[in-house]
Amino acid sequence: MAQNSNAPGDTPDLSVQLGPLRLRNPVMVASGTFGYGEEYEDFLDLERLGAIVVKGISLRPRPGNPPPRIVETAAGMINAIGLENVGVDVFLKSKLPHLQRLQVPVVVNIFGNTLEEYAQLAAKLDGVPGIAALEINISCPNVKEGGMVFGTDPLMAARVVQVVRRATALPLITKLTPNVTRIGDIARATVDAGSDMLSCINTVAAMAVDIFSRRPKLANVMGGLSGPAIKPIALRCTLEVLREVHCPVIGIGGIATPTDALEFLVLGARAVQVGTANFVNPSVTTEIIEGMERFLRVEKIARLEDCIGTLDTQCLFPFAEIACELTDLP
Amino acid sequence: MMKIMEDVSVVSQEKVAFQTHLLRLSAGRISREARLGQFLMVQVRDGTDPLLRRPFSFHRIDAEQGVVEILYRVVGRGTWWLSQCDSGARLRIIGPLGNGFQLPQCGPAPVVAVAGGIGIAPMMQLLEKLAQWLAPSGKTREIHLFYGARTAEEFIPGKAFDTLGITVHWSTDDGSRGHEGFVTRLLEDTMRREKIKPCVVYSCGPLAMQYHVARWALENGVPSQLSLESLMACGLGACLGCALPAVNPAAPQEEHYLHVCKDGPVFKAEMIQWHKIQTHPATPPIFLFS
Repeated sequence: MAQNSNAPGDTPDLSVQLGPLRLRNPVMVASGTFGYGEEYEDFLDLERLGAIVVKGISLRPRPGNPPPRIVETAAGMINAIGLENVGVDVFLKSKLPHLQRLQVPVVVNIFGNTLEEYAQLAAKLDGVPGIAALEINISCPNVKEGGMVFGTDPLMAARVVQVVRRATALPLITKLTPNVTRIGDIARATVDAGSDMLSCINTVAAMAVDIFSRRPKLANVMGGLSGPAIKPIALRCTLEVLREVHCPVIGIGGIATPTDALEFLVLGARAVQVGTANFVNPSVTTEIIEGMERFLRVEKIARLEDCIGTLDTQCLFPFAEIACELTDLP
Repeated sequence: MMKIMEDVSVVSQEKVAFQTHLLRLSAGRISREARLGQFLMVQVRDGTDPLLRRPFSFHRIDAEQGVVEILYRVVGRGTWWLSQCDSGARLRIIGPLGNGFQLPQCGPAPVVAVAGGIGIAPMMQLLEKLAQWLAPSGKTREIHLFYGARTAEEFIPGKAFDTLGITVHWSTDDGSRGHEGFVTRLLEDTMRREKIKPCVVYSCGPLAMQYHVARWALENGVPSQLSLESLMACGLGACLGCALPAVNPAAPQEEHYLHVCKDGPVFKAEMIQWHKIQTHPATPPIFLFS
C-alpha cells in the first residue's frame, strides 16, 4: 500500500472509481435490504452512501411468496421473499422522484421472467434522469420462472445481458449467483455480452427444517442464505471472478463491519454492498464508512483507492492449483 | 412518526410467571414517541448469533419516567439471552414501530379484549386506559377480558385486574384455572349467553387463536383490532419477511400481502385472508434451544 506523510487529522479520500461511476465512497446498499431508501431515512443520511441499489423491480407488480418467508440461522438468515415489488410504473411514479432529489447515485435492480421482459424493463428505465446504472438480477433463488435459471447457465446469462445491453445505454452491473460450479465462467460470459461491471454474490441456496411439524421452515421450501455466515463464500467467489475478468467488481456477502468491507477491497473489489446487516443495524453503513476512514488514518493511507487489489499475489499460487483440482472436470 | 435507535439500560428484570419475564428499560426518547399497541426491536446481545433483533410489543409506556416495559416469554435462544440481562445492562433498541391500537370510536358500550398466553403483554395498559375512561360512568365491569393460557402458572398475577374493576374470564387448556378449553370458545359462549354486543374487540395471542377471534368478530359484526405476530428481520418495512395473506379490496381474487411491521401489527379481521394463514404448533420445550 502506498504510504504517505499526511497528518493523522487529514480526512482520507474514500472516493472510488467504479467503471463510469465516481462514488464518494465504496459503500453501497444491496438490493432488497434497503427498500427504496425512505425506510431508512430516520437512521442515516442517504447522501453519505456510495450508492443505493433499490429493491428489485419487475415489469408488473409481484405479490411475493406466501409466508413464512424468512428464518434465522446461525449468523445468518434464509429468505424466500419472492421478489415482492410494486412494479416499474409505480416505482417511476412514486418511489424514484424522492431518490432523484438526493445527491446519491441510484442503481435500479431489474428482474424479468423472460428475455423480452428484461428488455422492456431496461428500455423503460433508459434515459430516466437520476438512474446511475442498472443491476441485472439473474440470480434470485426464490422464484420458479427466470431468476437463477438465467444465472446458472453461461449462455442464458449472456443472452439476458445482450438484450438489456441493446435496450439501454445505462452502465450495466450483472449480479452473479454463487450457486454454480464455476462462477468465473458466468462472469466471463456476461462481460463478453456487454456487462460493464459485476456484483457478487447473491444469496446462497439453502433450507431449514422444523423438527416439530416435520416441515421446511419456509413455505417456499428453499430460500437464499445471507448474513455473516456467507462472507467466506463471497470472498472466494469474488476472487474467482476477479481472476477471470478485468471489469470492476462489487463485493457482496455478509458485510457487517468495516473490516468485512475492507477484506473485499483488498481482494480487488472496487466497491461493496451491505445487505442483511441493514436489517440488524439500520445505520450500519454509516458506521462502516467511518470505520474505513479510521483504518486509513491508522494505516496512514491517503486514498482508499490505494488499498484496492493489494492482496499479496504470491499467496495465490496454491489457490490456483487447489481451484483447478476442485472445479476442473476430468 | 420518527423511528429511533436508542442505546438503553435495563432498569430491572423480574420473572413474573412461568417462563415469563418483565423487563423495564430506561428509554427516554422512545417512551415519548411510543403509543399503545406499537412495538420495538431489541438486539438481545452483541455479535452475530443470534443475528436478528427480536420484536416485542410495548407492555407499558411511561413517558414521564422515560421508561418502557416489555413482558415476554422465553421461547427460544433470543428470548433466553434477553432473560439473562441484569439491571444496568445495555441494550440497543429501535422503536416505536407499527401502527398501534386505537381507542374505540363508539360510546362507552361493552368492550372485549382477548389475550392468549403472552398476548396479555400489549393489553394491560390498554385495559387501564379503558377502565379510566369508563370509571366516571361506573361501567368498568363492562370491560371483558378473556384471558387464556395452557396452564394456570402461565398467567401473570391477577391483582392488577382486581384494582381495575374489569370483568376477567379465565380459561386454561388443562382446566387448572377457569374454563377448561380454548379461550375463544369461552368468548363465544359467554357473549351468546349474556347477549353482549361489544363495540370493539381487541385481541393478541397465537395466530390459531386470532383466527377464531376474527371469525367470531366477522360473524357478529364486531369491529376488531387484532395485534398479529410474524417472524421479522428488520421491523422497518425493508425485508418484507413479515407478510400475511391479505384481502386486496380492489381485486379480492388476487394474491396480496400486508406486512406486520408497517401495515400492522394491529389489523382489522376483514383485512386478512384467514384461510391462508399458517398456524404454528405449540411452543416446543425450551431445553432444545439452549
